[in-house]
Amino acid sequence: MDENAVTFKGTVNGLTIILKQDAGFDDIVNSLLIKINSAGKFFRGAKLAVKYRGRTLNQEERYELHELLKKESGAQILSFDEDMTENKLAETKPSSTERNNQIKKYTYFKGIEEGTTKFYRGTVRSGQLITFDGNLVVLGDVNPGAVIEATGNIVVMGLLRGVVHAGSNGNKDAIVAALGLNPTQLRIGDIITRSPDDEKGIGTNLIPELAYVREDKLFVERFLPQR
Amino acid sequence: MGEVIVITSGKGGVGKTTTTANIGTGLALAGRKAVLIDTDIGLRNLDVVMGLENRIVYDLVDVVDGVCRVKQALIKDKRYDGLYLLPAAQTRDKSAVTPEQMINLINELKSEFDYIIIDCPAGIEQGFKNAIAGADKAIVVTTPEVSAVRDADRIVGLLEANELRNPKLLINRVRVDMVKRGDMMSIDDIIDILAIDLIGVVPDDEKIVISTNRGEPAVTDDKSLAGQAYRNVTKRLQGEDVPIMNLESEDGLIFKFKKLLGFKTT
Repeated sequence: MDENAVTFKGTVNGLTIILKQDAGFDDIVNSLLIKINSAGKFFRGAKLAVKYRGRTLNQEERYELHELLKKESGAQILSFDEDMTENKLAETKPSSTERNNQIKKYTYFKGIEEGTTKFYRGTVRSGQLITFDGNLVVLGDVNPGAVIEATGNIVVMGLLRGVVHAGSNGNKDAIVAALGLNPTQLRIGDIITRSPDDEKGIGTNLIPELAYVREDKLFVERFLPQR
Repeated sequence: MGEVIVITSGKGGVGKTTTTANIGTGLALAGRKAVLIDTDIGLRNLDVVMGLENRIVYDLVDVVDGVCRVKQALIKDKRYDGLYLLPAAQTRDKSAVTPEQMINLINELKSEFDYIIIDCPAGIEQGFKNAIAGADKAIVVTTPEVSAVRDADRIVGLLEANELRNPKLLINRVRVDMVKRGDMMSIDDIIDILAIDLIGVVPDDEKIVISTNRGEPAVTDDKSLAGQAYRNVTKRLQGEDVPIMNLESEDGLIFKFKKLLGFKTT
């Protein structure tokens, strides 16, 4: 039996039951019974407006679940309806992209001094895209044609030859560091730079370098001055 | 209204991308306004051959998905005015674009450019269907190899099935010495099989490798034989009547010496 056919979620307005989309009705009933019983006296005496989503129910099924909730939970079930707010939210999202962009400016990832970090082991090859909401460390090379993006800092423990985008949701304080910094294109926040045309594309300079932005200009310098 | 030409071949590695870059640059040299569209999503090369890889911010998939406007994705060539590249996406695959979206995109570009050159991926699947969707004309590239000619024949059939009549044939990487020895198919052999009009014959040329790696199309090199061949192709595309270059007479010094000394040269 699928024990995850039903998930409970407490909301400001009461309780939302998330039903697994492809779960059979018997599974839902059984899973619901287990969940209610394991909650023990938690619901007893409460007044709940219950909503459900994730799967449509017909009239009979809805009635049966409603009765089950009344009988087993011990709570006073005020209502039992399908939750429509989720769908509405999804509909309004694309139209408000512009507003989201504005919000983004103030809510970009700030954990560049200390924050969540992803470690990627291996070579990132052409056509591969690594994105992460946080800092990103690649233990390997990044080849031309590959794209690595992170909302925080990016450190490559190898040769960086692909496209790199640090602070991808707007943080211009983010940095890019690599043991060999030869990116096709380097982006920090909304600043986009590329290497000069006269330089050969297949660089093999293995000098540990660090790129950062000051006053909307990109600077690259060694981070181990003695080497 | 611009003319839309798809460069295709069926087989990989016969020189579609090189041809696209050279024809596009040749047209720009002649003062025409041209845009090159790379439809090889996931295995893009045209940007590298053109030396424009590091300028890519938006790509074909971004345009059809509405992430950006067409003009934002067009990359201006670093040498010639009037030459633009619309690069393919590298981190996606062919199914990211549909033929209908390609037609819409091309219609949008038609009013702006004299020529729209589409670089087709190898194969006859989704990528091929996308590439030929909006095209008015086709150039089929082949090399003098049985396998390449076989694939070219298949492509000619598919183009005709998709209402693209009278495709033109471009024979690439011809080696005159090998043809003479009978080790390579001759131009006539290939035309006998495919039975379509010839638009150009490009000799095998070391300089192509050099120029491809440098990101500078060979058509700009006056000394390159292949460059000359591509210049002729662009002239023919613009309606000029240029005879097919006689490769045998261009053998150079050795040929002249042999002639001088009375050796048989044919």
